Amino acid sequence: MYIYDKFDHTITRERVAEFSQQVARRLTGELSEDQFRPLRLMNGLYLQLHAYMLRVAIPYGTLSSKQLHMLADIAKKYDRDYAHFTTRQNLQYNWIKLDQVPDLLADLASVEMHANQTSGNCIRNVTADQFAGVAGDEVEDPRIISEIIRQWSTFHPEFLYLPRKFKIAVTGAPKDRAAIQFHDIGLQIVRNDAGEVGYAVYVGGGMGRTPIVGPLIRGFVPKAQILSYLEAILRVYNRYGRRDNIYKARIKILVRETGQAEFTRQVEEEWPLIRDTGVDIPAGEEARIRAFFAPPAYETIAEPVVAFVEAKKKYPAFDRWVSTNVHPHKVKGYGAVTISLKPIGGIPGDASSTQMHAIADLADTYSLSEVRVTHVQNLVLPNVKQADLFAVWQRLGEIGFADANIGLVTDIIACPGLDYCALANARSIPVSQRISERFADLDRQHTVGPLQIKISGCINACGHHHAGHIGILGVDKAGVEFYQITLGGAGDEKASVGTLLGPGFPGDQITDAVERVVNTYLELRSSPTETFIEAYRRVGAAPFKESLYGRR
Amino acid sequence: MAVVDSNGLIADGWARLADDAPVPKGGSVVVSFARLKNEHNSLFSAATKVGVDIPSDVNLGELEPFLPRLGVIVVRFATMRDGRVFSVGRLLRERYGYAADMRAVGPFIPDQAQFLLRCGFTSFEVDDSYPVESFKRSARAYSVWYQRATDRAASVAELRQGALDGSKS
Repeated sequence: MYIYDKFDHTITRERVAEFSQQVARRLTGELSEDQFRPLRLMNGLYLQLHAYMLRVAIPYGTLSSKQLHMLADIAKKYDRDYAHFTTRQNLQYNWIKLDQVPDLLADLASVEMHANQTSGNCIRNVTADQFAGVAGDEVEDPRIISEIIRQWSTFHPEFLYLPRKFKIAVTGAPKDRAAIQFHDIGLQIVRNDAGEVGYAVYVGGGMGRTPIVGPLIRGFVPKAQILSYLEAILRVYNRYGRRDNIYKARIKILVRETGQAEFTRQVEEEWPLIRDTGVDIPAGEEARIRAFFAPPAYETIAEPVVAFVEAKKKYPAFDRWVSTNVHPHKVKGYGAVTISLKPIGGIPGDASSTQMHAIADLADTYSLSEVRVTHVQNLVLPNVKQADLFAVWQRLGEIGFADANIGLVTDIIACPGLDYCALANARSIPVSQRISERFADLDRQHTVGPLQIKISGCINACGHHHAGHIGILGVDKAGVEFYQITLGGAGDEKASVGTLLGPGFPGDQITDAVERVVNTYLELRSSPTETFIEAYRRVGAAPFKESLYGRR
Repeated sequence: MAVVDSNGLIADGWARLADDAPVPKGGSVVVSFARLKNEHNSLFSAATKVGVDIPSDVNLGELEPFLPRLGVIVVRFATMRDGRVFSVGRLLRERYGYAADMRAVGPFIPDQAQFLLRCGFTSFEVDDSYPVESFKRSARAYSVWYQRATDRAASVAELRQGALDGSKS
């Protein structure tokens, strides 16, 4: 993991002092709410329906056990003893008092954490593959460039007042687990014909009311020049992105209205003019940051690990959990465990302080003190010896997080929705809870197989419904919550936007509708190994429409 | 109206000239970009010093021919969130080599001072009631920065590498 040096500590400390006095000036009235708003948003502080919500940055989803313990302590000290992991690998507290925020930030700073730029029209927390460094298929660990981008984008003087928010995601592997083409900039680490490592750059993807799969604008940017390339993109966007209409202000609209070729030309024209002005970091700095992400001292373990194999034979429930929740590790004898924060009927992504402490303890005991947050709102123990998996599974069972449902129909993404959010049109959480309960039977879930349901409570699409195999969008129809269904979205390397099936369903019928879609898939799939998304791509929307709305 | 820099209030010799007002002999006047374009010959010969007031979406190529003779460029925030101002500042300094006074005007707040300074602004036009102390504090909120900007302050990465190189020798 990255460890702060004196410079990082200084900047973080100065940030706490700065925001503390901004809060004080708001309380005295020197700053109006209109003036304070962008300042507090740039510190992740939202005024929600019932209270302030604070969004804490978890850069590229990587946490130490010490940090997770602190996040749990903060939940107990300042909130209602729980917290919420988000689709951007961040963490949210929902019941925060404004005058306590300075103390809370100081607590975060004590474990090298902050809430910088987790909201506002600036460059947000960079996200990355949750299996960074442990996945066998990656070209390079994406956390290195992610940390470089974190530092470059922090309080960047030119890019704090962009037309709209700006999100960057990085994948180090051809298998995209970071949904890079749904981001303002998506970077894929690649190797060119000469064997050099660099980045393929995608620009202008996004969700919201205009979902777009971001196009590739450059196949290879050399590693040493990526920051100047990013700065060129940001400068073109900052100067020419629309500021007259909030719904047309994202870079995806600029790319679309300018035309991909012309936009790319503008970036390519800007890039050489800033390439040699000190934007790119010195070579030694990349090496310094890389060293923090060197592989830990793994043990040499021969496979098969007998105890592990025996346990799987003896305990079918454990075997099943391994099949869904343990991802292959690049080192023999290890596995990466995804902890499901999706217990049946639970709130996706929520964890109590007790649960967070327990997971941090597991990380200390079994996973080299490291935890990851996924954009699907789960947690990962990235470095667990196969021989320890059984003990981890048992302990997770004790805290209610041993569901063997990763990637299955109850591994649902849901935004906070109208239960918390001031922007929402409809509730998301209860819908996810009802669907989860309907598919509670684990045999049935495993029969259905891989299926991603994603729920948003408004068109802003924080629940990523456009990228759901089954997407659900809450809308308000004359004061009544209705839910529309989209099918065929995907957030991986075959990114696609889901297609709206038809009119929405009221809250008491949406669960039935989802079940009909699932049953239709089960009836039409060519074999038990044809997944939902594969079947949908083969047959299209028609059979599903018919099952929901009848023949037309 | 008052004018400040990062140390506080400063004296200001610039007078704003309305588009229909006659050009005074001598003196320092700030005019609109339209007037500068139309009357630059008579302006530069009559006034002692000439400045221009530009919006943040200005075409910098059109401004370029006048830059060597301008004494101040006033860049106007449309709203406090008008981030184009920051890019315009950097480009004028770093791309076009503009070296005289560059002034921000409009509804910016004290907390933006530090970023404007980093982007090459040297003076700031504010209301008389402006919280100048907050402005000065903002200008000093950070002692180091992660990235290079117009002010050419060494980035943290450069400071680190300088320190590392030093420890090796």
